[in-house]
Amino acid sequence: MTSLQWARISNDTFNAAIFAYLPAMLASFAYLAYRRRPLLLVARVAAVAGLGAHLVSIVTRGLAAGHVPWGTMFEYSSLLAFLVVLAALVLVEGVYKVTTITGFAIAFSVLTMAIAATTRINTPAAPLVPALDSYWIKIHVVAAILGSSLFALGGGVLTILYLVKDGRERRETAALAAESPAPILGASLDLSDPPHFAPGADEAVGSLAQSSRRRGILPPSAVIDRMAYRTIAFAFPIWTFAVIAGAIWAQQSWGRYWGWDPKETWSFITWVIYAGYLHARATSGWRGRGAAVIALVGFASLLVTYYVVNLWIVGLHTYAGTG
Amino acid sequence: MSSVPRHLTLRQSVALVWRTLRSMRTALALLFLLALGSVVGSLVPQIPNSPDRVARFQADHPLLGRFYQHAGFFDVFGSWWFVLIMALLLVSLVACLVPRTRASIRNVRQKPLHAREIDAFPQYAERTVRAEVPEAIATSQRVLRRRMFRVSRAEDALAADKGALRELGSLVFHWALLLLLIGSVYGKGTGFTGKALVVEGESWTDGAANYDGTIRAGRFFDGDFTGVGLTLHSFEATYRANGTPMDFVSHVDLLDPGGTVARSADVRVNHPAVFGGLRFFQFGFGYAPVIEIREGDRLLYAGPVPFAHQAPPEGVPELALPWDGIVKVPSVTPGLGIQLTLWPDSGAFLQFQQTGEPVPMLRADHPILFFTTWKGPLVDPSPRSLDTSVMQEGRKGALGEGQTCSLSTTKCWGPGEGTPEADELTISFPSIRQYSIFQVSRDRGVPIVLLAAILVLLGLLPALYTSRRKVWVRAEPNGEGTVLKVGGFALQRKPQFEEEFTKLIAEIERATTERIGAS
Repeated sequence: MTSLQWARISNDTFNAAIFAYLPAMLASFAYLAYRRRPLLLVARVAAVAGLGAHLVSIVTRGLAAGHVPWGTMFEYSSLLAFLVVLAALVLVEGVYKVTTITGFAIAFSVLTMAIAATTRINTPAAPLVPALDSYWIKIHVVAAILGSSLFALGGGVLTILYLVKDGRERRETAALAAESPAPILGASLDLSDPPHFAPGADEAVGSLAQSSRRRGILPPSAVIDRMAYRTIAFAFPIWTFAVIAGAIWAQQSWGRYWGWDPKETWSFITWVIYAGYLHARATSGWRGRGAAVIALVGFASLLVTYYVVNLWIVGLHTYAGTG
Repeated sequence: MSSVPRHLTLRQSVALVWRTLRSMRTALALLFLLALGSVVGSLVPQIPNSPDRVARFQADHPLLGRFYQHAGFFDVFGSWWFVLIMALLLVSLVACLVPRTRASIRNVRQKPLHAREIDAFPQYAERTVRAEVPEAIATSQRVLRRRMFRVSRAEDALAADKGALRELGSLVFHWALLLLLIGSVYGKGTGFTGKALVVEGESWTDGAANYDGTIRAGRFFDGDFTGVGLTLHSFEATYRANGTPMDFVSHVDLLDPGGTVARSADVRVNHPAVFGGLRFFQFGFGYAPVIEIREGDRLLYAGPVPFAHQAPPEGVPELALPWDGIVKVPSVTPGLGIQLTLWPDSGAFLQFQQTGEPVPMLRADHPILFFTTWKGPLVDPSPRSLDTSVMQEGRKGALGEGQTCSLSTTKCWGPGEGTPEADELTISFPSIRQYSIFQVSRDRGVPIVLLAAILVLLGLLPALYTSRRKVWVRAEPNGEGTVLKVGGFALQRKPQFEEEFTKLIAEIERATTERIGAS
């Protein structure tokens, strides 16, 4: 088949993936609201069908362009969206057995794909420029996509859900405290614990007793918080590796491993913020909402690293292919 | 609030500063300041990365430019306040790491401590087993050892712990960050980066005067150039049919300080040559037409002249633009300057003239050279620019490869044809060559930085993914058997530890029962 035919298949399956993700997202939200098992089944089947079509789209894009399918911003966006849905299904539903929040992850992916398809990010498949033609593109860029998809899931989607749910729980607790004069609130448990039993950095905060009192529409904030932490802690070494691999590549192709190019600077900023998040988790007074806000700032920084730096700031990483 | 006395002694103030520096809150604040400073560095043009954009910014916004200049915003990563944040972070890191490292060493040496009240721990279980106390303890010890716990044994009790790797990994990670910083400061401080412009067929030697433009040297650079060099045999640029570049390669011989050829190498994008502690990167290329200026038969000037590319306007491919060069002939009074413009591909030039549509020139094909003469004093010392403000414009003309033109009549002729007057100035364009620009750099810190980066990653994994847990066992005789009391807790990953603890209890129970069955 010719490059053009592959490209057409890639485009068609890309659209098919979006049109499978959309019902998956809607069914997932409906399940969240009504808790009917068939809805969950529909959501899963549609999401898996979407992933299948998406995978075909990514592979055929690579065949059309004649290189690994993550050489331009469009390809990066597509793979990122794919990985976010995959991670939501595998990590959140598979490992943590939380079925109610996949819809939000899919929404993020659909948004990412829509932005990629409708803006100047959308460029036809083309061969790589010499500066990118290196085996490091397989190592550095794959790590960057993997890391950013996990940051997007943990620092973005899950953290926003945590803040929403935590806010709700606080209001409920406050309302409850107003009703009955002296309830033993979960929050005071922390203080009565001897110090060496204080929750570790990866432990959920907030009281389970408090959140299990009412089921609510989302999982208890403590559960979301733990998932968010785990996902970020999973992403952090991958991102670190991506930055290091990028530095090694830069040393090979530009003669210096670090030059404060905008992309380098922003990936460093994102790294520093998430390093701050991991430290905040281990610092009393910062756990919970404080750390979550830092994670959210990290997510914003990730978006800047990706969209703003690629599209608006001039630097050596100007490979978006949108010029 | 009265715990803080109003007047601190010097000792107390030092202790207070030290405590503040060591606190995680300070470290967090410094991390965010670092991120914030970097944001500025990415938004404001930086002198080391794009000096021309800085100059343009200063011209466009004089007031803001002056403020940025004073605040160090044009060189954030070299500014005093950025270095200060880094230094404070460093001190904070060391202040935090030294006691932690000491404690960690103590912990590793020390055997796990015994506990008095086992049933107070978050995880607790009791099992009655049919075994004597010493035997039950020995079996439990074996089980714990098999599960990689460190065990310290008393007569009727065990204390065990596991997961020291978490703290160790965290320490390795943080010390490695420090090493990374040291390596990069050492490498950048003692190293330099410069550009070498070499025309095909010519040689270049590593020496202070031979670099093109300024050398960016580190603070501790001692000026010890190596004297190694290279000869550029040829440069090739290849393009795809649509004009996107495919490959740039310089075929070179690398020369020892004595000038003898050590080996040949191909320098291409992503594939530098490393020689004599220097790295040579393919950085750029261009055309260097060979130009000869004669007065009658007398040769006044001869040699390849490196031409620079005009900056392309928006939307025009760079290669569609002509190249500019300057020739200066001071031996003609009152001075002669020639501005030259080269169209490497005359076909593309003609097409551009006809259609107005710029055509990329991917190779030299019947190149055409336009010239404008200027007479007057040569006040600008740079060989690449001509200050025409005090000069008078002379004739204009054009010539092809192999041709010679009169600078006074602008009449041109082919090789071996025309005969100029004895005092007539002529320009000849016998051939066209290419030049290659190499970025030459020395950074001795690279191996240190690489090692540190590997350690950062190696430390990070156990620091994030392992957990510390402790288990205590006590055996008390109970009729014909023994009551085993087991308690434990985990500092991290508590849900996982709950499962692990359940399995551990089951295994201890099974092991003690099996032994009874066997005996």
